[in-house]
Amino acid sequence: MIEGSLAELQANALARIEAARNPEELEAVRVEVLGRKGSLAAVSKDMGKIPAEERARIGKLLNSAKQTLETALAARQEEFAGQALGARLESEWLDLTLPAPGIRPGSLHPVTQIQEEIEDLFRSLGFTVLDGREVEDEYHNFDALNIPADHPARDMQDTFWLDGGNLLRTHTSPVQVRGMETLPLPLRMIAPGRVFRNESVDASHEHTFYQLEGMMIDRDISVANLIYFMKTLLTAVFRREVTVRLRPGFFPFVEPGFELDIQCLICGGPGCPVCKQSGWVELLPCGLINPRVLRMSGIDPDKWNGFAFGLGLTRLVMMRYAIDDIRHLMGGDLRFLRQF
Amino acid sequence: MKFSYNWIREMVDGLAVEARDLERLITIRTAESEGVEEYGAKGACRARVLAVEPIPESHNVKAIVETEQYGTKTVVCGAPNCRAGIETIYVPLGKKKIAGVESDGMLASAEEAGINRDHSAIVEMAVEQVFTPTDSIIEIDNKSLTHRPDLWGHYGMAREVAAITGGTLTDPVDVSLLPAGDAVIRVASDDPELCPRFSALVFENITVAPSPLWLQFRLSAIGLNPINNIVDMTNYIMSELAQPMHAYDRALLNGDTLTARPARDGERVTALNHEEYALTPANLVIADARGPVGIAGVIGGLDSAISERTTSIVLEAANFNAASVRKTSSALKIRTDASMRFEKAQDPENTTRALARAIALMREVCPGARLAGGVADWKREMPAPPKVRLKLDWLARKLGRPVPAEEVRAILVRLGFGVSDDFEVTVPSWRATKDVSVADDLVEEVGRMIGYDSIEPKPPAVLSTVPPDFPERTYYRRARGMLASQGFTEVHNYSFLSEEQAAQMGFDPAALVHVLNPIAANQSVMRPSLIPGIYANLVENRKHLDSFRLFEIGREIHRRDQGLPEEVPHLAAALYGEESGLLELKRVAEALAAEVRVRPAEARGFEHPRRTAEVLAGGAVVGRLFELHPSFIEGRAAILDLDLRLLQPHERRASKYVPLRRYPSSGFDLTVLAPTRELVGELQDKMAALAGPLLERIEYVGQYQKSDSKSVTFRFTVGAADRTLSSDEVGAVRLGIIEGMRRLGYELTV
Ligand SMILES: [Zn+2]
Repeated sequence: MIEGSLAELQANALARIEAARNPEELEAVRVEVLGRKGSLAAVSKDMGKIPAEERARIGKLLNSAKQTLETALAARQEEFAGQALGARLESEWLDLTLPAPGIRPGSLHPVTQIQEEIEDLFRSLGFTVLDGREVEDEYHNFDALNIPADHPARDMQDTFWLDGGNLLRTHTSPVQVRGMETLPLPLRMIAPGRVFRNESVDASHEHTFYQLEGMMIDRDISVANLIYFMKTLLTAVFRREVTVRLRPGFFPFVEPGFELDIQCLICGGPGCPVCKQSGWVELLPCGLINPRVLRMSGIDPDKWNGFAFGLGLTRLVMMRYAIDDIRHLMGGDLRFLRQF
Repeated sequence: MKFSYNWIREMVDGLAVEARDLERLITIRTAESEGVEEYGAKGACRARVLAVEPIPESHNVKAIVETEQYGTKTVVCGAPNCRAGIETIYVPLGKKKIAGVESDGMLASAEEAGINRDHSAIVEMAVEQVFTPTDSIIEIDNKSLTHRPDLWGHYGMAREVAAITGGTLTDPVDVSLLPAGDAVIRVASDDPELCPRFSALVFENITVAPSPLWLQFRLSAIGLNPINNIVDMTNYIMSELAQPMHAYDRALLNGDTLTARPARDGERVTALNHEEYALTPANLVIADARGPVGIAGVIGGLDSAISERTTSIVLEAANFNAASVRKTSSALKIRTDASMRFEKAQDPENTTRALARAIALMREVCPGARLAGGVADWKREMPAPPKVRLKLDWLARKLGRPVPAEEVRAILVRLGFGVSDDFEVTVPSWRATKDVSVADDLVEEVGRMIGYDSIEPKPPAVLSTVPPDFPERTYYRRARGMLASQGFTEVHNYSFLSEEQAAQMGFDPAALVHVLNPIAANQSVMRPSLIPGIYANLVENRKHLDSFRLFEIGREIHRRDQGLPEEVPHLAAALYGEESGLLELKRVAEALAAEVRVRPAEARGFEHPRRTAEVLAGGAVVGRLFELHPSFIEGRAAILDLDLRLLQPHERRASKYVPLRRYPSSGFDLTVLAPTRELVGELQDKMAALAGPLLERIEYVGQYQKSDSKSVTFRFTVGAADRTLSSDEVGAVRLGIIEGMRRLGYELTV
C-alpha cells in the first residue's frame, strides 16, 4: 500500500519538476516534495507504522525515490542556470566592428624604420653604429677622404657651403674618418645619417637625404670578403637571395673602387623598364679602403686594410615602397607618413 | 663622353664584338656606360646615282641608284644636285608615290644624314672619302672617367677595348711625321708647374673650308658641331687622343713668341665665345708680344681666331696643371671640352703625338697646307715613369683569389704597363699623372680584367667582438618608439629655414649659421630650433586633419665664434586639436625621463602667455612645453621641445631594488582651499613637505572650481618599513599637515 503511494508520489513529483517553468516554480516543488515538511518527509514519518520485516525494503525504496527526485531537481536547476547564463550572454551582444577607442599608434618615418633595420643587422655582425656631425669642415668631408681641393671628384658632389668656411656633409664618410681617428683597431662601424647635396628638388632629386656608410678594418680583408658582406646585407634587406655584381667605380676613398649592382628584382635579369633593360640595378658604391685614407687617419696600411661601402637609405625606402616622388619623404604630410 | 663604335673599331684590329655587347663589357671592366644609340639616318647606306630621268610637270627627278646594302632602287628626288655619277646616301623608307612615280626610299641631305645642318641638297661624297653613314654611339658616364685622363679620347678607350677583347691595338699616331729642324716660332712657359709642356707647329698655305663629310659626320655623331677644317681637325684630335689643341691665325699674332704665363692684374681677353673676361694672376694665359691671346687650357681668344681669311696657323698642343685649369674654369664660369680634359690631369707626353697626328690629318682636311719649320717644344724635365712593385701573394690576399703570374702579366701589358720578370711594374705616362701610383691601384687593373664575378664571396676570418655601444643612440631609438606608440608620427624636416621663419620664432637672423649658396632664398639659414619646421607641419596638416600628433628628432645648429657650429639633438612633439594637448605632452616628457617637472615660464612671442612652461629634469631646464599663440594658428597646438643631450642622463632606469613593504600602509584624503591660480604642483610640494618621513606618496585626486577660489583634494599614503602605523601615528601625520597648511594661510575642509 505504501509502496504504491510512494511510486505515485515520485511519478507525480517528477512530472512537476519537468513542468516547472522557472527556478521559482522548481523551488516550490522542491519545498513541497523534499522539504522538511514535504511529502517525502511525511512518508518517512509513517515508517514507524510499517512492519519491521518490511521496513528495510521500504526504507531503501524511500531513499531511492529521494535520490531520483534530487537528481532530477539538480538537473532541472542546472538547466535553468544554463538558460539564465545563455540569456545573459545573449543580452550582452556587442558590436565588435565598432572602432576601438583611444589613441591610434603613430608611426616612425620610413627612413628611420629601414635605418633601424639595417643598424640591427650590422650590430648583429659586430659593427658599431656611429653618429656624426651634420656640419663638417673641409678636412673631414674631403681631404681626409683623399679628395684634395683641386680634385675633380669635388665636382661630383655639389656642396652646401656655410659661413665660417664649414660645409654640410655631402656623405657620412666624415663620421668614418672620425671613427678611424678615435676607435681601437680592428674596427667595424656604420654611420647612418642625413646628408646634403646642393641640387634642385624634383620628383627624383632631393638636397637632403639619408645614407648609411660602413667600413671594416682588420688584418686581412679582401674583395671576396667585401662581396660576402654585401651579399649578406642585401639578402637581409630585400628578404630574398640577391645576385650581385661588382664593376669598376671611381671613389677616391677606396682603391679599387666598385659600383655594386644587384640583379633586377623585378624582371630577374632579362631586362625591364625598372632596370632600363639591362637586368641590373646600381645599388651601392664600395671598395677596399684607399691606403692613403688609412694613413691620413693614422692607420698603417701595411698592417691593416679594410673595405668601405655606402648605401642610400632614401633610395632603399623608395625601392621598397615603390615611392615615385622623393619629396614626400621630407614633406611632413601625415597622410603619407602614417602609411608606414 | 660619347664614343663612336666605328672609330674604336678602326683602332682595334679584329674587333668582333657588337656595339651593344661592347657597351656591357666596358661597363663591367672599365667605366659605366649610359647606353648605346644608333647614329645617322635609320638604315642609311652609301649609294651611287646610276641614272636620272626627269618627271614631267615636276621639279623632281626619278633616280636609279645602286645602294651598298639594298641593291638597285628607284627613288624620286627633288634635290637640285641629284645627277648621275654622284656618291650619296640612301635611306630605306618604304615605297610611296611622289609626283605619280613610285619612290622606294630617299636620298639624304647632310642634315638628314646627321653630318651637318645643310639641307639644301643631297649629300655628295668625294669619291676618295666615301664613308659608312651610320654609327653606334656608346655614351660613358663622365663621372666614371674622372680618374682616367686617357679615356677622354677614343684611343684610350680603344686600348681598353683591345685589352678586354684580346684585339690588337693600332696607334693612329705616326710620330715619325714630326719635322726635324728649328721651329719658326718660339714657345715658353713661365711656370713649369702650371704649364709643364708647350708644343706648337706652324702650317702655311692654309685654305679654310668645310671639313670632309666623313669628319663632319664623326664629330656630329659624338655631339660636336663641325665648324671648318682647321677647328674640326683640332676637335677630332682632342676626341681621339684626349689632347686639347688650339689653332691661332698666325697673321693675327703679335711677334713670334707664345708664352704660358699667369695673367697680369687688369689684363682682359675676349674669348671665342665673344665674352670678355677680366683676368687675375690666378689665371694662366697664353700671351703674345701684346698680351693674352687665350686662357690656357680653357678657351682661345677671339682676336687671333681662325677665319676664312686665315692662311697660316700656329697649332698649339700644350699641357696644363689640372688644378689651375679647374680653378680658372670655375672662377670664370667657362667649361669647355678642353678644360674638362685638362682638369683630369692629361699626359704631357701627348702634346707632340697630337702634332704628329695633325700633320697626317692636315693632308686630308687641307691638302694644300705646308709645314713651316720644325716643332717648337718647351718642356720641363719630365719625371721618370713611376715603378710599382707588385707582389702576387699580396695581390691574391687583396682580391681573395690567386691569379696566375702569366695572366697578371698579360693583363698589365695589354693595358700598356711595363712588367719586369720580378713584377716591377712601370706605369705608362698616360696613367701616371693622377691615376696609378701604388700597388693598390694595380689590384684594380687586374681585378677588373679577370672579372670580379670570378671571385667567390668569403666570410672574413676575424674575431667575434661585441661592438661598443653609444647610450644616446639607444635612447633616441627608445624615445622614437615611445612617441610612436603614443600616437605621434615621425616627420623629417629640412635643416634649412628662411630668415623670416627664424625671425618669426624670435631668432636674430644675423646670429644664425648662413648657407653661402642656398638652393632657394627660403632655405638660407640653418635651423636653430626644430619649432619653425614643426609649425609648418602643423599649418599644413591642419588643412586635412582635425586632430593629429607628430614629432621630430633632429639637430639644432647654433653658431659658435670659432670652429664648427654646435649641433644639439632635440625632440619636438606637437599635438593639435580642439582641446589642449599640453598635459598629454607633459606625460610624454615624464615618460622620457625620471623626475620631470614643469614650471610656468615667461612666454615668447609665439607662445600662449598663460600656457607656457619650462620643463625641468634633475632641477635643470631641459626644454619647454607650450601652446602656440592663437594668432599663429586656429585650434590648439601644444608643443613640447626637449634638449635630448640634457635629458638623456635623466633617462629612467632603476639602480637598486627597494624591498616591498611588509606592513600595510594607511591612507587619507585632504582637501585644501586655494586661490584659483595657485599651482597644484606647489600645493602638493608644500603638503608633502609637511607630511614628514612617514609619507609614502601623495596623489592629486581632483579639484573643484569655485567663483574666486578652488578646492583641491589630495590622497596621502603613509606607512613605515618596520611596523604597521597606529591610528594615532596616522592621525598625527594628518594633523601635522592640516596645522602646517593653516599656518601657511590655507584652509582645509576636513
Ligand atoms: Zn628588370
